[in-house]
Amino acid sequence: MRHSRISRSPRRAVAAAALAAVMLPLSACGGGDEGGSSDASGKVEGEITFQTWNLKANFKSYFEGLIDDFEKKYPDAKVKWVDQPGEGYADKISADAAGGTLPDVVNVSPDLVAPLAKAGIALDLDKSAGKYEKEYLPGAWKSHQVPGLEGTYAFPWYLNTGPLFYNKRLFKDAGLDADKPPKTYDELFADAEELADKSKGKVATLANVPTVEDFGRYGVPLMNKEGTGFTFNDKKGVELLTKYKKLYDVKALDGQALTATPESTGKKFLTEAVAMNPGSALDLEKFKKDAPRLYQNIGITPQISSTGKDNMYVMGVMVNTRTKRTPAAVAFAHFVTDAQRQMSFAKKVAIFPSTKGSLDDPYFTKADGSDVARVRIAAAKSLKTAVNYTPVLFSEQMKIELRNAVARALQGKQSPKEALDNAVKACDRLLKQS
Amino acid sequence: MRTQPTDDAASAAVAAREETPRKSRTKPAARSRRGRVADENGRRMPLWELALRYTLLLVMLALMIGPFLWQLSTSLKGPHENIFSSPPSFLPSDPTLHNYERVADTIPVWDYALNSLKVAAANVFTNCVGAALAGYALARLRYRGRKAATLVFILAMLVPVEGIIIAQFTTMRDLELNNTLIGVLLPGCISALNVLLMRNAFLNLPYEVEEAAFVDGANVWQRFFRIALPAVKGTLAVVAIFAFMGAWDDFLWPLIVLSDPDKFTLTIGLNYLHGTFANDERLVAAGTVIAVLPLIVLFACLQRYFFRGVGEGAVKG
Amino acid sequence: MKSPAAAAARTAGRAAEGPAPQKSGTGPRAAAGRRPARRIRRQLVTSPWLFAAPGLVIVGVFILYPFVSTIINSFTDKRQLVEGKYVGLANFRELLHDDMFWIGLRNSTLYVLVVVPALVVLPLLLALLVQKQIPGITFFRSAFYTPVVASIVVVGLIWVWMLDERGLVNAVLEAVGAGKVGFLSDQWLLLFSAMGVTVWKGLGYYMIIYLAALANVPRELHEAAAVDGAGPVRRFLSVTVPAVRSTMVLVAALSSVAAFKVFSEVYLMAGPTGGPAGEDTTLVMLVQRTGTGLTGRVGYASAISVVIFVVTVALMLLVLRADRKEDA
Repeated sequence: MRHSRISRSPRRAVAAAALAAVMLPLSACGGGDEGGSSDASGKVEGEITFQTWNLKANFKSYFEGLIDDFEKKYPDAKVKWVDQPGEGYADKISADAAGGTLPDVVNVSPDLVAPLAKAGIALDLDKSAGKYEKEYLPGAWKSHQVPGLEGTYAFPWYLNTGPLFYNKRLFKDAGLDADKPPKTYDELFADAEELADKSKGKVATLANVPTVEDFGRYGVPLMNKEGTGFTFNDKKGVELLTKYKKLYDVKALDGQALTATPESTGKKFLTEAVAMNPGSALDLEKFKKDAPRLYQNIGITPQISSTGKDNMYVMGVMVNTRTKRTPAAVAFAHFVTDAQRQMSFAKKVAIFPSTKGSLDDPYFTKADGSDVARVRIAAAKSLKTAVNYTPVLFSEQMKIELRNAVARALQGKQSPKEALDNAVKACDRLLKQS
Repeated sequence: MRTQPTDDAASAAVAAREETPRKSRTKPAARSRRGRVADENGRRMPLWELALRYTLLLVMLALMIGPFLWQLSTSLKGPHENIFSSPPSFLPSDPTLHNYERVADTIPVWDYALNSLKVAAANVFTNCVGAALAGYALARLRYRGRKAATLVFILAMLVPVEGIIIAQFTTMRDLELNNTLIGVLLPGCISALNVLLMRNAFLNLPYEVEEAAFVDGANVWQRFFRIALPAVKGTLAVVAIFAFMGAWDDFLWPLIVLSDPDKFTLTIGLNYLHGTFANDERLVAAGTVIAVLPLIVLFACLQRYFFRGVGEGAVKG
Repeated sequence: MKSPAAAAARTAGRAAEGPAPQKSGTGPRAAAGRRPARRIRRQLVTSPWLFAAPGLVIVGVFILYPFVSTIINSFTDKRQLVEGKYVGLANFRELLHDDMFWIGLRNSTLYVLVVVPALVVLPLLLALLVQKQIPGITFFRSAFYTPVVASIVVVGLIWVWMLDERGLVNAVLEAVGAGKVGFLSDQWLLLFSAMGVTVWKGLGYYMIIYLAALANVPRELHEAAAVDGAGPVRRFLSVTVPAVRSTMVLVAALSSVAAFKVFSEVYLMAGPTGGPAGEDTTLVMLVQRTGTGLTGRVGYASAISVVIFVVTVALMLLVLRADRKEDA
């Protein structure tokens, strides 16, 4: 290619200067709002933004009513509600946190709170709103504490847990008693092998590889007390993984488990390719609608655990330290999560309030004969002792490390011990860097 | 996820496409008159060959659009039909448009679609204009630094966008354009690939045409608008359709830039259909059909330009 | 003329010249040697920067400038919410000892090796199939183009459905007695399925390119070959292929860059963990996995981005050089 040989023209210099002029202001890093105080005692006033995680499509009227109530109670305050879709939520929050555009009040889960708290973006509620602690279940309040940091970084919001669903028809076909589902891990593994054996490997019982919460429920200590290192490679952890390996070998653990997602395993249960799946009361509706035949054969049994404590999922509401309206933000975060609001939300959708006493409401204790109520009551009961097994410091990257290690062990590329040792090493390294 | 894999391919299209008009002059005439069922030698096609061709075409057809038909079928299945039956049933037993109504009830799908349409239309406009201007400069104008300018666009094309998204966001925040549709539009509004595409197109135009206009006293803008641009319509159609697609399909960037749900684009909005607590396959299927349909319609409208070069080559002589 | 700019410009120039081997002096020299109108040239100096400015500003501010910060970050231990400090080449050293990085490099390379030849050859055959003006051909051409305009997310979703153990493909395989195939559970089948989707989606696109190129193959060449008694296969190899060779090179250059940066297809089919034990991870997936989210290691992910960038530049040069050698 040829280019002209005009002598160096001043035009180029001008262009370069122009470009530099455009770029320079950008490189001046905008720290932006250094933000407000942690003092929440002032007057509740001003406009705040409240961000939820994928709740608008189904609960629009609930949140609009809630905000109206709040604005009535505090006429000087105004709440703007934004809802983010399910996918990419962590990316969205991290971009906003890095760019200083995070809303004042944000719907989070414990694993999202941990990095935000470490970066000083989540408000310590023990300092700013300690007086509200007594309103919540102690386990729920603790779930937003971060090992290595003093304080509590989000109000607990809704909880969820659920039973194990199983397919009675598949149990019967394998010659098992469909009314006696497994209650312990030993029974579970025995039944699973039986199912696989009788169906010649066509019917798997489980569709998920063990996750960190499964290790927790099996009684494996996950982290040391100081929160500085992981310990799931101990004897008990190796034992669980060895058992899963056996299930995988006899096809009692689904062949696609290594690449499964919660969505895909749910689908497998719906298509009656898998005999058991954890779920919640919400799933009953889905079974009825999407897989009528499955619904007729649905069995419901409590979660299996060696610790006597079920696993639960916790949602929280945090306050951004950079908010300029700390009193309003804290007041609103508390308002959203108070007993009254949580109770009415729980009646809208099958989730559970994290406030003290709410679970004693007749709604969670009185049976009405329906499956939905039965599942709800059992779950509410188990929640009084349930734990969020997943350590708050267990990041997305660590989850993938563990998952890949588990897969290597199941495939026989590494022994269970070796795989878990490697996973612990990798997770410890990630922990140090975080 | 932001660059469509097909984007890269786009430049190739043009490169090849624009050859057509010039070369077609050497083509022998009157082929079309010898009957449509004839090969490139004007020889009548034997029946067996014709049958073979149609068989192959039909097999390819099943392979290429079968999957879409299945999606369409699921979106038409009623609430009491088992969509997870095994083996899967291809046709809905009781077709209904109810799922589409439900999508509109669940989310403000038309508002989202309007936002997407705004961004996509603007993206088409900026890409066509910006890439044509820059492409013309790279291909036709003589000045010092042209090679460097070309290098800038080529390097930009090779940058892996997944690695720069947060930096892009901070830039946008510094410009105070976060949470605006303009912020969604800007980073891709003149894509390097499209610039190179247009450059190739212009490179291929014979100089003589412009020379004649120059003699007639036309200045550079007149020559650009009246002579060069109309000659590369086919490439512009390619740029247009890919600019539209890119903006229409993008998920992660609009999600990061936008905070206000009123401004959400369709891909983000449709993600709400994957509910926190429940997931309805039929609804998701209906949503994806809504997302794909405008693209197919757009393509159907533009395909005339798309295939024109090919057709011209065969018909003209 | 060692710079990638010159090199790429050269292919571009060549493609513009058209796939006509009989023409003497295809390639850059021909482009430059085109009868230049000097007077035009002189006048054309007036407003070039004005023409190029919008594109340069956009690309500079929103692509290159952020990428410069990515390069800078690759020498730091920056994390998503924590400012980094300079660590020299530590990230790159860590890469060398990261198994996942090598898996990613292997898969991305494999992707190039499989997908590029397929995308160079198959669309050409498809183009030959739809080249003849037989009734209904426009419909077929348009239909074959549909996967190109469909969103990759939709395409991924559909193919996951199709290839599932209980999906349509396995239902067909079982019906003909072939038995089930675990497309979505075996690491290699997963990777090849994803490659298949990439090819499937790209077929229609490259078909169009080849159609345009084929339209320019002079009829006389075919006739002469036919007179010499060459069968269809011989004619394909001795007439068609040489005639569209420069188009094939361009397809190879662009599709190899795209294939090396593959993300969506593998992510959608093999899941966010990248298949069983992460064995299907590609390099761009690794960037996404290590660098995003609240705990993302921006510094390390940036180092991977830089590697990807360097490799794609090299890939482009490699394809162009191979082409030049054949030319000589």
